[in-house]
Amino acid sequence: MAGPLGLSLAPYIRSSPTLTKLFTPVAKWYAGGSLYRQYGLLYDDLLIEERPEVQKALSRLTPRQAYDRAFRIKRASHADVLHEPLPRELWTKPEQDIRYLLPHVEAVVEEIKEREKWDTLEVKRKW
Amino acid sequence: MLSSSVRLARRSFATVVDTAGLKVAAIDTNQPTVAITILAKAGPRYQSKPGVAHALKNFAFKSTADRSALGTVRESELYGGVLSSTLSREHLALTAEFLRGDEEYFVDVLASVIASTEFHRHEFEELVLPTIQGEVNALHADPAAHALELAHALAFRNGLGASLFAAPHTPITAEDVAQFAAQAFSKGNFAVLGTGISQSALSSLVADALAVESPSEAPKPTTTASSYFGGETRVETHGTPQTIFIGFGAAGAPAPELAALAAYLDPNPSVKWARSASPMLQAEKTSVQAVYLPYSDAALVGLLIQGPTAAAVREAGKAAVAALKGTSGVKAEELKSAVAKAKFRLASSADGRAGVVEVLGSKVLTGSSETSLEASLSALDKVTSAGFTKAATSLVKSKPTYVALGDTQSLPYADELGL
Repeated sequence: MAGPLGLSLAPYIRSSPTLTKLFTPVAKWYAGGSLYRQYGLLYDDLLIEERPEVQKALSRLTPRQAYDRAFRIKRASHADVLHEPLPRELWTKPEQDIRYLLPHVEAVVEEIKEREKWDTLEVKRKW
Repeated sequence: MLSSSVRLARRSFATVVDTAGLKVAAIDTNQPTVAITILAKAGPRYQSKPGVAHALKNFAFKSTADRSALGTVRESELYGGVLSSTLSREHLALTAEFLRGDEEYFVDVLASVIASTEFHRHEFEELVLPTIQGEVNALHADPAAHALELAHALAFRNGLGASLFAAPHTPITAEDVAQFAAQAFSKGNFAVLGTGISQSALSSLVADALAVESPSEAPKPTTTASSYFGGETRVETHGTPQTIFIGFGAAGAPAPELAALAAYLDPNPSVKWARSASPMLQAEKTSVQAVYLPYSDAALVGLLIQGPTAAAVREAGKAAVAALKGTSGVKAEELKSAVAKAKFRLASSADGRAGVVEVLGSKVLTGSSETSLEASLSALDKVTSAGFTKAATSLVKSKPTYVALGDTQSLPYADELGL
């Protein structure tokens, strides 16, 4: 349940169809109410990046993705200095809010786990 | 005589089994280890973009559908095996060497590499590009290899002239490599060669593995027939020996006379530490190598001269040009010893495991029925004095390939050497 991205109940909720049905509208309402969309950010821009896994994942973005991320963060910082959200047409639409970084972070975590597995492997002879 | 022919016969792929377009050949001489090689017609000669063959060579044994790059390495280490990939101008070879008994695992590794490598962009950038860069740096520190690269580009331009190495800042991407890999390892474009394993065991293992991991159906990579051009180039380098290459090429299947010519031109004494009487080796610390590089439809013959100073290289170069042009007066006994030397070189190159794959593998891949060394050796026996002179004079009539590497201010030009 606790990953590099912090505690999350999402995998458990997603594993049950009933809970998914129950929570999806709530999740959508909650994300829409979060201010990050009004500042033109995507959810993955908010991942805590001071971690080796996320740093490695950031290095795997395409040049275009990395540029766009830097642009969004700069624009949001500026808006924050002005104490005002962006104009409404620049808000992130729900369909634009894709998890561009999460798959990379998960892949890096898998790699680290696999390396630990091989490093601590106990070899047994079959004969 | 009988015993030598028996030994030679064992150094040949006696049978090539062709199961559904897949060629499998094996020799078992009861050695304690097994090597299995996947030999594909995927050298730079066949590449779709410059450098993509070099990238594919370095992309071997990375993440596949079955295991990650790390998993492949660690699991092979547990078995004590060695995985390697080698690139020649015409072929890409993926080799696994291991102890007897581990055949199943390593055949599975090779099959998954050719059928389901995932070609991740991040692996290309994190693992493949640095090795490409390192190999290019190593090439630039090795003037002999660098001179031969340049010589191929001059001699054959496209096809065989394509460099074995990607450019230092190559524009190719992981998708380019994936596309080329699909072509390179498509059905019928590769052969499986085994040493230390029986033909039937290898065939059944490979058939089982490729039934699960079926190779792609992409069209085979194409190439054009080679032709010889020649030319001159000079590259300024620092801190490496002064190097020149003087060579001639010929299109068409390499004639045995050219192998004999290269052996005839070689000035190095056959006895260690002996001093050669050849005029090419009179200067102190100068080395001269006879180069004979046969390909499926062309050959390059020449002399590679290296020395500490440009003046020494110039003297050796003049002697080398005189030797190349003066082959018409070859004496019968000189020809005899040159043929014997060429035969020995060919036989000893096919002695080791890698040599067997290199010398005989291409024959298996082209589907030639003759997959033993004996035909090549007996062709050398048939070299006559007249045939030798004819081949040598027609070779030096073509435009020379001349490469100078080092202090270009003082290294000689081709015309100064009498070319």
